Amino acid sequence: MINLAYKDIKYSFTKFIITAISVGILFGIVIIMIGVYRGMIFDAKELVKDIDAQLWVVQQNTLGPFAETSKVHEDLKDQISYQDGVKYAEGITFQNMQMKNSYGAFKVMLVGYDPLGKISPINPNKIIAGRPLKKEHYEIVVSAKTHYKLGEKIKLGRDYYTVVGITKNTVSNGGDYLMFVSLKDAQILQFTYSNERIRSDEARGIKGGNPHLVNAVIAKLKSGYNAKKVAREIENSTHKTVFTKDEEIKLLLQRVIKKSSKQIGMFTAILIIVSIVIIALIIYTMTLEKIKEISILKLIGISNFKIIKMIMQETLILGILAFISGNIFAHFMADKFPKRVVLEANDAWTLFIVIIVASAFASVFGVYKVLKTDPSEAIGG
Amino acid sequence: MNDIAIKVENLVKKFGKGENEVTVINGANFTLKKGEFAALVAPSGAGKTTLLMMIGCVLEPTSGRIEIGGEVVYDNRWTIKDDRALRRKKLGFIFQAHYLIPFLDVEENVSLLPYENGEKPEVVKPRVKELLDYLGVGDKLKNMPSELSGGQNQRVAIARALANNPSIILADEPTAALDAKRSVDVVKLLRKIAKEKEVTIIMVTHDERLLPYCDKVLTIVDKKIEVKEHLEGVII
Ligand SMILES: Nc1ncnc2c1ncn2[C@@H]1O[C@H](COP(=O)(O)OP(=O)(O)OP(=O)(O)O)[C@@H](O)[C@H]1O
Ligand SMILES: [Mg+2]
Repeated sequence: MINLAYKDIKYSFTKFIITAISVGILFGIVIIMIGVYRGMIFDAKELVKDIDAQLWVVQQNTLGPFAETSKVHEDLKDQISYQDGVKYAEGITFQNMQMKNSYGAFKVMLVGYDPLGKISPINPNKIIAGRPLKKEHYEIVVSAKTHYKLGEKIKLGRDYYTVVGITKNTVSNGGDYLMFVSLKDAQILQFTYSNERIRSDEARGIKGGNPHLVNAVIAKLKSGYNAKKVAREIENSTHKTVFTKDEEIKLLLQRVIKKSSKQIGMFTAILIIVSIVIIALIIYTMTLEKIKEISILKLIGISNFKIIKMIMQETLILGILAFISGNIFAHFMADKFPKRVVLEANDAWTLFIVIIVASAFASVFGVYKVLKTDPSEAIGG
Repeated sequence: MNDIAIKVENLVKKFGKGENEVTVINGANFTLKKGEFAALVAPSGAGKTTLLMMIGCVLEPTSGRIEIGGEVVYDNRWTIKDDRALRRKKLGFIFQAHYLIPFLDVEENVSLLPYENGEKPEVVKPRVKELLDYLGVGDKLKNMPSELSGGQNQRVAIARALANNPSIILADEPTAALDAKRSVDVVKLLRKIAKEKEVTIIMVTHDERLLPYCDKVLTIVDKKIEVKEHLEGVII
C-alpha cells in the first residue's frame, strides 16, 4: 500500500519540517507562558513553605506581612511563645531592596531573622555553599542568582556585610532573590531613618537606634495542636491577626498574585486560540497547494477516504512534530527567563491533547476543500 | 450476451447560463462495442475533452443517457452511486498532460489504482514493471516525475491508465508529447490491449497517421457525433 501522507511529507520534507518547527515555537511560547504561570504560583508559596511556621502573627486587621504592611513589637514573640500549644515563636522582617553589582541591578527581598533563634527561614537543604547566619551582626546569606560570592562584602545602609552562605532556589513571593541578615541588622535597615534624620532626632532629644519592630511573629506548634484553633485563641487574647500557614499561602495566591496570574492565564488562552487558527490556516494552505493533485486523484478514481486520510495524517504529524519541537524550545528557553518557569509534564500533555483535537478540527477546513474539489478541475486550464 | 461497452443517446452538454449559455454537444448518439478502438477527431474547441469527461462520469451532462458496460450511469441525471469506484475499477484515463502525482515515484504512480482496488503487491509489482518495460521506462521505476522528460512522463501516465486493467480507456491526445515513432508504438500497444483484453478505447488525436490503427473514427459535426466505420486500410 502507498501512504500518501508519508510520501508527500517525504517529498517536501524541508518545507514540512520548517513549518512544523515554526508552529512548534508558537507552542513553545504557550508552554512557557503556562510555565510562567505555574512558576508564579510556585514562587508565591516557596518562602512561606521554606520558613515552615504553622502560625503567622501580624498587626491587627492587616493581611500581612506580604499582602499588606504589618508592624508588631518584637516582644510579641515572648507573649506568643507562652500561648498554649506554641513551641517556639520568633520575630521576622521582610524588606524589598534594589541591589546593584557587576551583573546588573536587581530587586531582592531582605529577610531578617534571629540567628540564635529557634526558627530559621532558610531551608537547610537549599544551602549550596557556606552556612546559615551565626553572628548577630554583619553576616549575610544570599540567593546564588544574585551572583555574590562567598566572602564578598556587600554594603547595605551604612555597613558592610560578609557573605557567609549561598542558597539555591530561594525566592520571595514575587519571584525576587533573597538575602538573609540578622534580625537586629534588618531592624536597623528597615525601621531607622536616614543618618540626617537620626541626627536631627537626637538633637531634639528623641532617642534613635533600634525600634525593636518586626513585620510578623512566626510560631511553631507542639505536636497534637490544631493550628487553626490555636490561631483563633491567640487572636482573642492578643488583639493581633493570626494566619495559619495554609491561610497565609491562600492569602498570597488570592491577594498578591491573583491579578497577574489571571493576566497570564488570559494571555495564554488567547495564544492557544491563535495557535489553533494558525494550524488551521496552515492545513488549509497545505491542502490548497495540493488541490491539483487532489483533483487528479479524484479524477482517476481514488476515494475521498484515502485523500482525507492523507490530509488528516499530515495534520496529525504536523501537530506531533510541532509539539515535540515546542517542548524542546520551551525547555531550552525556560532557564533563560529571569523568574521561575515551571514546566510540568501534565500541562504539556494537556496541551498535546488540545493540539491534537485542534489539529483534527483544523483539518476539517482542508477536508471540506477536498470534498468540494471538482475532479474536472484537474484538466481545466 | 451484451457486448456494448459504451452507449451514448441524445447527449447534450451546455456550459453557462442565460446569455452566456454555450451548447457544446447537442444530441450525440453512438455506440462502441467491447474491444473496439475508436479515434475521436475534431477541431480544437469542438468538445472532445468534454465528451470524454462526460463518459468518464467526471462532467455532468445537461441531458441524455450514457451506458457503460451495460450499466446506465446517466439518464438525465446521475444514476450511479459511486462514480469514483466506477472509474478506478473500469476506466483508464490518459490526458493531454501527464498529470502524474509529483510526490510519488513512477512505480507508485502506476501502482496507486491497483492497490486502491485491493490487489496484492505480488500481483501488482510484476504487472507494473512489465507495463513500464513495454513503454520503455522500465528503468525509471524509482524516479520522481520531475526527473523525467515530458515524453517519459507521458508513457508513465499511459502505464497508469492501463495498470488497473480497465475495460474502457479514455485517452485525450495521449501521443501529443511523443515523437512519431513512440506515437505509433503507443497506438500499437493500445490496439493490442484493445484486441487482447477486449478493452474499448476512445482516443482523441489530431494525428492522421494514427487513424489506420483504429477500428472507427468518431467526429463531431454540428455538435453531434458522426461515426465512420471499417476504415479502408486498417492495419491489424
Ligand atoms: N467549464 C467550462 N465552462 C465553460 N465553457 C467550457 C468549459 N469547459 C469547456 N468549455 C467550452 O466547451 C468547448 C469545448 O471544450 P473542449 O475542452 O471539450 O474542447 P476540445 O475539443 O477538447 O479542444 P482541444 O482540442 O483544444 O482540447 C470550448 O468552446 C470550451 O470553451
Ligand atoms: Mg481537449
